[in-house]
Amino acid sequence: MRELLVMKNITKKFGDIYANKDINLIIREGEVHTLLGENGAGKSTLMNILIGLYQPTSGSIYYRGKKVKIDSPSKAMKLGIGMVHQHFMLVEAMTVFENIILGVTKDSSIFIKKDRIKKDILELASKYGLNVEIDKPITEISVGEQQRVEILKALYRGAELLILDEPTAALTDIEVEGLFRVIKKLISEKKSVVFISHKMREVLEISDRITILRMGHTIKTLDKNKTNAEELAALMIGKKMVSSKYKKVSKTKENIIALEHISFNKESKHNGIKDISLTVGKGEILGIAGVDGNGQSQLAQVVTGVITPHEGNIYLYGKKVAQFDPNDFINSNISHIPEDRNKMGLIGDMSVKENLILKSIEKSKFSLKKGLFLKKKIINQYSNEMKKKYDIRCSSIDQEVRNLSGGNQQKIVLARELEMEPELLVAVHPTRGLDIGATKYVHDKIISARDKGCGVILISADFDEILKLSDRIAVMFEGQIVGIYSGDNPPIDEISLAMAGKAE
Amino acid sequence: MKNMLIKIFVPVISVLCSFIIGAILITIIGGNPMEAYTYLFKGAFCTPANIGETVIKAVPLIFTGLAATFAYKCGVFNLGGEGQFVMGAVVSIWISTTLKGITGIPLIIISLTLGTIAGGIWGAIPGILKITRGLNEIIVSIMLNYVAILFMGYLYTGPLREGNVPQTASVPVKLGRIFSQSRVHYGIVIALILTLIIYYFLFYTSKGFKLRAVGLNQIASQFNGLPVKKFMLFSFIISGAIAGLGGSVELHGTQFRLMSGFGQGYGFDGVAIALIGQLNPIGTVLVAYLFAILRTGATTMQVGSGMPTSVIDIIQALVIVFAVAGSAFINLPKIRQFFSNVFSKPRKEPL
Repeated sequence: MRELLVMKNITKKFGDIYANKDINLIIREGEVHTLLGENGAGKSTLMNILIGLYQPTSGSIYYRGKKVKIDSPSKAMKLGIGMVHQHFMLVEAMTVFENIILGVTKDSSIFIKKDRIKKDILELASKYGLNVEIDKPITEISVGEQQRVEILKALYRGAELLILDEPTAALTDIEVEGLFRVIKKLISEKKSVVFISHKMREVLEISDRITILRMGHTIKTLDKNKTNAEELAALMIGKKMVSSKYKKVSKTKENIIALEHISFNKESKHNGIKDISLTVGKGEILGIAGVDGNGQSQLAQVVTGVITPHEGNIYLYGKKVAQFDPNDFINSNISHIPEDRNKMGLIGDMSVKENLILKSIEKSKFSLKKGLFLKKKIINQYSNEMKKKYDIRCSSIDQEVRNLSGGNQQKIVLARELEMEPELLVAVHPTRGLDIGATKYVHDKIISARDKGCGVILISADFDEILKLSDRIAVMFEGQIVGIYSGDNPPIDEISLAMAGKAE
Repeated sequence: MKNMLIKIFVPVISVLCSFIIGAILITIIGGNPMEAYTYLFKGAFCTPANIGETVIKAVPLIFTGLAATFAYKCGVFNLGGEGQFVMGAVVSIWISTTLKGITGIPLIIISLTLGTIAGGIWGAIPGILKITRGLNEIIVSIMLNYVAILFMGYLYTGPLREGNVPQTASVPVKLGRIFSQSRVHYGIVIALILTLIIYYFLFYTSKGFKLRAVGLNQIASQFNGLPVKKFMLFSFIISGAIAGLGGSVELHGTQFRLMSGFGQGYGFDGVAIALIGQLNPIGTVLVAYLFAILRTGATTMQVGSGMPTSVIDIIQALVIVFAVAGSAFINLPKIRQFFSNVFSKPRKEPL
C-alpha cells in the first residue's frame, strides 16, 4: 500500500513543555490507523497540527510524497484532510443540506444551485452508506446521524484522509456498528481513516495498524493482527511507579457514605451512571480511575447532591438521604473540589476573600443577625490567614480570582473546602492543569485530610495520581464500576485493561 | 481600587465622547456648540427652580435605574420596569381615590406601600415563569409592560375617569415639597434612602453577597449550596417593587394623576442608566441625575440657541452606546491585561 501521509520528527512545544516530541507517523492509503494513548499523551495536539490549527515547532509533513506546510484548516481541507471532532461543529438551526454546503464555494455563481448540489450530496451519501435526511434541521436528527452529516461534510469537501476523534463516544452500540460499516466502506474506496479511541474492543475490531503515544512520544506502531489487548494496554500505560511516598491504609469499618444501586441517566454510557454501589470509610481514599467521560462527573454530582439519582439510595453516616440539595450535603460536612474550578468552584469576578467565605459567610464567626451585619475585620483577618496558610499568591485578598493562576485558584478552593473540616471530601481532577509544585501541594493536603479521618473520593483521569493517592481503586467504564482493587500494590495491568473496557 | 478607577473611567469617558460628537453634530447643522451647551447647563442649574426641575426629573429615573440594577446583580434581566412602575401608580391612584376615612400622611404611606407591593407582584410574574417553566424573562417582562400600559389606559378612560378628559382624578394627598422656591418633593429623599439601603444590602450583608454570587456564576453558586432559583425570584420581586414604588412616588409627587404617556420610557431608560452606572446603586443615581440634566437643559437650549431638543436625545443615546461598548471593551482579555499592568506595581509572577 502506498503511503498517503508521513509525519516526520514532529515536535510541538508549549512554553517549556513538550506536547509532542519527535513523533513519527505514517498513514497508508486505504487503512484505518488508530492512535492510542492516555489523556494528555499528545493525540489531540498531533491532530491539530495535521489539520492546521497548530504549527509544529519542528519536523515536517509529507502528503502524497510531497512536503507540505499546513498553516490553516482550509489548507488541510484543500489537501484532502478532514476531521470529525468529538464535539460536532454543526449549526443547529440549519438543515443538514445547509450545514454540508456551509463555506464551500465550488462554483462562482452567486446563486446556490440547490438541486444539483443536493443530487451530488445524495450520490455521495449512498455510495458510502451514509443515511441522512437532507432537509431536516440538525436539532431534529439523532447524534449518530449528526455524525454522519459531519463525515459527509468532510467527504463533500474532498477529504481523502478522515480523522475521527473519539467517534464512538456519544453513540449507541447499534450506531457504532453503522459507523464501522461506513469506515469499512471508506477504506474500500481507498480513503484513509485516523481513528482515535480509548476503547480496546473497538480499536481491535476496526484498526489495521495502531500507533501508541505516551507522554508526547510515539512508542510503537503495531499491526492489529500481531498484537492483543494486554500488550496494547501495557504499552499505553507504560511502566508505572507502584511505590508511592504516601502510606496506604486499609478500609475502616465505619462508613461515611454508602451508595446502593445508584443510577442516573443510565442509558447514556458517557453522561450517566448505572447501578453503582460503593462505600467510603473514615480516613481512606477511594480513587475512581477511568478515562474521562465515563460517568465520573455524574458520580461526583450525585455524591454532592447537585443532581438527584434516578434509582438507588445513598446513605450518609448510615442515614438515608431523602432530598438531594447541595446545601444539605454541605451541611452534612461534605466538601467538594469540583472538576472545573472556574465554572463550578469559583466566582471569577469576585475577590479571593469573597470566594474563601462563599460557603461560610452566614456562620456566626463572620456575621451577626443572620448576615445582616458582616464582620468585615474578621473576614479580612481570616482571609489573610488563609492566604498565608495555603500559600495563595495574590497581590491582595481583594484581587479578583480570575486573574490568578490555576494553581492559586485551586488553593483557594482547597482552603475553602478543607477549612470546613469535612468528613467526606469529593475531589474531582484536583490537579488538572497544575504544575508539579502545585500538584504536590494539593496531594499533600488531601493526604493530611485523610490522616485526620476524612473520607475521600478522588476522581481523576490521571492514572498516576490515582495510583499515588488511593487506598482503594475503583474503575469506571461506561457508567459502571467494573472492578475494585486494593491501592496497596495494585495490579496495574489488570486495572489498565479494565479502564479500556476489558475486565473479563 | 483599580476596579473602581476603571468603573468610573468608562462612564466619564463615554459622556465626554458623546458631548464631543454632539458638538460636531451641532456645528454641522449650523449652530455654535459652546453656546448650545452653555444654554443646556444654564437650563439645568441657573435658578433654584431649574435645579429643582432637574431633581424632579431624576427621581423616577433613579427608581427604575435601581430596579434594573438590582435584577442585573442577580443575573436576571428585568426589562419590565415600565410595567411595574405603571402598576405601582395604578394601584396607588385607585387606593388613594377610593379609600375613605383616611387622609394625610397615613394615606400616602398606605398608598406607597400598596404601590410597592403591586410592582413586586408584577415583577414576580416573569420571575416565577422563569424559574418554574424556564420562560425567557426578557420577553415576558417586556410583554407585561404592554399589559400594564393598556390596563392603565382602560382605567383612565373607563372606571377611574374624571369628567370628559381621559385622565383620572388627582390624588387627594400629595408628597410634601422640601423647599418653597421649587417643586422638589420628598420623593428624592425616599429615592436616596432606598439607594443607600440597596447599597448596604448588596455589599454589606450576606444575602446581598450571595445574590451577587448567583449573578456572577450560577453554576458555581449551585455547587456551593446557594439556592439559585430562590435568589432569582427574590431579585425579580424586589426589582419590581422598587419600580412600583417609583411609580407611586412619581404619582404622588409630580404627576398627581394618570393620563396617556404616564411612565413612558422610564423602564428602558432605567436599564440604560443601570448599565452606564456600572450596575452600582450610587453610580445609578449619578447617571440618572445626568439624564435629568440633559432633559431639563434640552428645552432651554432649544429656546436659547435654536438647537432642536433631538440633539440631546442623540447625545443621550450616544452615552448609552459608548458606555456599553466601553464596558465590553474593558473586559477584552488584552485590555484587562493592559489595565492590570498599568495599575498594579510590578511583581514576581507567582506559581
